[in-house]
Amino acid sequence: MKAIIDAHQISKIYNKDTIPVYAINQVHLHIEKGEFTALVGPSGSGKTTLLNLIGGLDHTDSGSIEINGENITHMSAGALIDFRLRNIGFVFQSYNLIPVLTARENVEFIMQLQGLEKKDMEARVELLFAQIGLKDKMDSRPSQLSGGQQQRVAVARALASRPQFVLADEPTANLDSASANNLLDIMWKLNQEEQMTFIFSTHDQRVIDRAQRVITLVDGKIVSDTKQVPISHVE
Amino acid sequence: MKLLVRMAWRNIWRNKARSFVIMVSVALGIFAGLMVMALYKGMMRDRIKSLIYQETGHIQMHHASFKEDYEIRYAIPNLHYVNNLLMKNRNVKKFTFRSVCQAMLATTNGSAGIQINGIDPFQENECSELNKKIIDGKTLTNTKKFGLLIGQKLSKKMKIFVGDKVVLTFTDLQNEIVSAAFRVVGIVQTTNSAWEERNVYVRRNDLNQLFGAPGMAHEVAIILHSNDLIPIMMQQMNMQFPDILLEDWKLLSPETNLMVETVDITSYIIIGIILIALAFGIINTMLMSILERTREIGMMMALGMNQLKLFILVWLETLFLTLSGLPFGVIFAFLLSNFVEKYGITYGQGSEEMMRNFGFSGMIYTEFPYEKVGMIILFVISTAFISCLYPAIRALKLNPMEALRK
Repeated sequence: MKAIIDAHQISKIYNKDTIPVYAINQVHLHIEKGEFTALVGPSGSGKTTLLNLIGGLDHTDSGSIEINGENITHMSAGALIDFRLRNIGFVFQSYNLIPVLTARENVEFIMQLQGLEKKDMEARVELLFAQIGLKDKMDSRPSQLSGGQQQRVAVARALASRPQFVLADEPTANLDSASANNLLDIMWKLNQEEQMTFIFSTHDQRVIDRAQRVITLVDGKIVSDTKQVPISHVE
Repeated sequence: MKLLVRMAWRNIWRNKARSFVIMVSVALGIFAGLMVMALYKGMMRDRIKSLIYQETGHIQMHHASFKEDYEIRYAIPNLHYVNNLLMKNRNVKKFTFRSVCQAMLATTNGSAGIQINGIDPFQENECSELNKKIIDGKTLTNTKKFGLLIGQKLSKKMKIFVGDKVVLTFTDLQNEIVSAAFRVVGIVQTTNSAWEERNVYVRRNDLNQLFGAPGMAHEVAIILHSNDLIPIMMQQMNMQFPDILLEDWKLLSPETNLMVETVDITSYIIIGIILIALAFGIINTMLMSILERTREIGMMMALGMNQLKLFILVWLETLFLTLSGLPFGVIFAFLLSNFVEKYGITYGQGSEEMMRNFGFSGMIYTEFPYEKVGMIILFVISTAFISCLYPAIRALKLNPMEALRK
């Protein structure tokens, strides 16, 4: 199958001038369309750094990353911004919705940056809010939504730009069990129905249980990369 | 763009107290700037008005050589012809002839160098409203021969009162020294105490009789229907009277003209200083706002907001913050300026006399500078743009990954 993400021998080193610390050390990663992948490992193992490198938020010190065949390793900051807008959806641990915008406007924000027509935008917003089950909360401000609801809006925002894949950094870390399960159900459904690729960094066993592929990082290196039958799928 | 506008507007209300302080500062700054302009404009309007209607008129005519040494032999030629042409000219509202000479005024208390203005009382009253400036005594229209009106400042200095006799000494047409006694019939108060101190008024016939040249005049003061007619009249009259010296009020009172010209520059400098002070407040507020939203800005950049859009967002926020205070400043200045234009404010007793020394009246009546409001709005928008630069650069320099960690 065609790789959406192809990382070749990538490294990220901090404190290069004093005592070098390998946040990511000679990692090779190949992710295909439609995968539901969990990056796991102890704190400081390099999960978030790897997500940042794949997401074009940080540059590698060696190696190269190709997203959908396009090499992003040496892209300028400006080109990376545009690349992220067109190709990558982000879900952050602490939701990071824009507090002055309503839920609908937060989702529209990405599409407006993309310059979408109003008609197309409205149709997509309707669809996304139906998918996350928050049609009745479209005009609420983030402060009027619960943590789980905010994270669902963040997922809708991540999907609004029709990205190649979604990177989710500890998306359930701040959620209670019910909200976390609800969020995972939505993402799982999107993965199954629309072949949307999700890559999570997580400590959360519930996320790990749902993943089709679990990559374990320790000290910046991939120590295991296993495919599994997700629990929800078994159920 | 619509979403950016909406975000910018809502962002300025995230910290209401801080935004309110800046808006009040802008409103006060604009209010102060406009009031200074209104005061200057009102003062200049009154000064020009008093200069034209009490001292010079819009245009004056003299013999080409008269002003070199103020010799009385240089009278205006063909006075009858001048009179006829001015009577027929529709731009001319009023005019009056004056005989003028430099003289010595003597009393038992001392002497002073003065200028004698020989006037036709009725025409002069129409042109310069001299009768309205008499604070003691009466006009020259109803008095016997050799009556004299004296300025208040000179009367105080020389301790001259109505009914007193003074001796005026000057040279006649044959360069013979002439002395004549005049009786003070009235005391005149103008808005220019320097003028009062060196001018007296007598009847032109009396003065001409002493010159030995009946019907002569050295000066024609012309009042036009409007200030705007001056250039066209100067052009027209230069052709009609090629040998006559024609001067408008700007040439006759260059110090007033300079004041009028520099007042605009001064008010722009004051507005500039106010806006510079405001700019620092705006920069500080915007910088705090950017620093507080580091994570949010990092997130927007991570999601794909480019630098241009981020800059526009910061600029719009600065603009809204600045423009929100602007209407209040303009409205308050407009209301107060109209109030002061109607009722006036006084400098206070001590300062009133000082202002009269410079040709200003004791009361200030403002005039709202409507024509400057557009310019001020432009200044404010420019200030917002300049003020947003530093905070915007700080925002643009943020690394989205690092910003997201904060």
